[in-house]
Amino acid sequence: MEELLSVKYDIVSGDFIRGGEASSNLKKLLNQLGIRSDIVKRICVACYEAEMNIVIHSVGGYIEAKIYNDKIEITAYDYGPGIPNIELAMQEGYSTASDVAREMGFGGGMGLPNIKRSSDEFYIKSEVGKFTEIKIIIYFN
Amino acid sequence: MKQLFHSVSLISEKCIGCTKCLMNCPVEAIRVKNGKAVIYNEKCIDCGECIKVCPYGAHISIKNSMDDIQRYKKKIAIPSVTLYSQFGKNVEPDVINEGLLKLGFDEVFDITFSCDIASETLKKDLERVEKPAISTLCPTVVRLVETEYPSLVGHLVKMLTPIEISALIIREKYQGMGYKNEDIGIFFLTPCPSWVTKISEISKNENIRINGAIPISDIYPKLLKHIKAKEEDKINHISRTGLMWAYSGGQCRAIGIENSIAVDGIKNVIKVLSDVENGRLDDIDYIEVMACSNGCVGGLLLVENPYNAERITRHINSKIDFTYQIHDFSDIESKLVSDEEIDEQKDNQKFSTNFENAVKMIKIMNKVINMLPGTDCGLCGSPSCKAFAEDVAKGLASLKDCKFLNEGGLKGEG
Repeated sequence: MEELLSVKYDIVSGDFIRGGEASSNLKKLLNQLGIRSDIVKRICVACYEAEMNIVIHSVGGYIEAKIYNDKIEITAYDYGPGIPNIELAMQEGYSTASDVAREMGFGGGMGLPNIKRSSDEFYIKSEVGKFTEIKIIIYFN
Repeated sequence: MKQLFHSVSLISEKCIGCTKCLMNCPVEAIRVKNGKAVIYNEKCIDCGECIKVCPYGAHISIKNSMDDIQRYKKKIAIPSVTLYSQFGKNVEPDVINEGLLKLGFDEVFDITFSCDIASETLKKDLERVEKPAISTLCPTVVRLVETEYPSLVGHLVKMLTPIEISALIIREKYQGMGYKNEDIGIFFLTPCPSWVTKISEISKNENIRINGAIPISDIYPKLLKHIKAKEEDKINHISRTGLMWAYSGGQCRAIGIENSIAVDGIKNVIKVLSDVENGRLDDIDYIEVMACSNGCVGGLLLVENPYNAERITRHINSKIDFTYQIHDFSDIESKLVSDEEIDEQKDNQKFSTNFENAVKMIKIMNKVINMLPGTDCGLCGSPSCKAFAEDVAKGLASLKDCKFLNEGGLKGEG
């Protein structure tokens, strides 16, 4: 089935000032569509964590959201450095974030687990030196 | 759509159709149509920013006057705690209260008593609502959450505000003395327009009905005549902890909620609410949120500036050693929680109740955005190019209104 709407936001590495704009814009769109507020909140949390992951850990990437009749599919893609051990990265509290990021309250190692917890379906692929791709699906009902 | 009463309104004759209010409204509730500002009531949160910036005095706050108190047999004033910060540091609260009696009130209710009660209910609320709990003292913030952040409604505390608690106590007292409810006139002396709106909403409930709101800035010159600084050392029958509710952060400190933050100023409020929505602040217990700079002392209808007002409040506080020891309020506890269902339908961002229609409209909006210059000049009457595109999609504006498109020969349209 083809999506009804799709939006794509470029995410700049290390930009903590503008980091979060993609999720704000997506939130506005979902509210305009009249998506139930508890679902919007889950999407917000997942998208924000994915966005900040790209800001903190990667060299840059994008977030693409596709909206269907009954669900949203969000792809968070970055151009590296990739995750060597995905199983380890999925553990709560595990983090490779820099001290600066941690001081700002990011990088507590809750990002990936939080994204998974907020979504109905969660997929992650990564290749060291190349990319990381997270795909999540959240249903509207 | 149901017509909503708003304190913030426009005198059309004074409006020249400039774009000051348009550009400064934090929730994009204003448009300029046919050379006059129009406030979209379903979006307006009564913050009063438009009143502040209008150079022509076209934006005003609807309010009550001292004449309105004459209609009641018993006239009771509930002064906002901010009142005591308006006359310098040497005028004691009791002197100000005596002044109010001279102006014609039969009783001046001590709102700090209600603040101390509210503090106790608030402690219990922290367990009852989603974390972080969000304060409801500022009606503008409550409206903002309802209209722009509907997913955060479950975070709002359920306590009645001190103003409502005061009305409840006053009505019970005077009814107990044999007065009919309609003979009891309760007036809030307000620091801001948003309370005028809130009072009109809560007046539907006759147990906490407040009959009007009189701006402190209106009563100030009359009151000044009756006030002399420090004739003698007065004993102030007012609570130190209650008085702290006047300024930003005071509420948290009065109640002793350590793991909390205090946010003031509407732009900061918007930023912090977004952070809550993103799940960034889940480990905080309580967020004190006030739309005005430095909290209620920053209210539009006050005379003193917000920062000096805080200093004055702190000075008065340093001389008071009294606080109401509220241990047992079980007799009225059940009444202190707001039973008003917060109306998520106030959410006005939705384009259409039909999902497919909403999708179509968003597609139109996106197409229009791509045609616009993105300079947000405001000449079309919408606050930004994005808002204009939204208005076009909703049928509230026409592409012809865009000066750029028309002078550029409507390029890109088709």
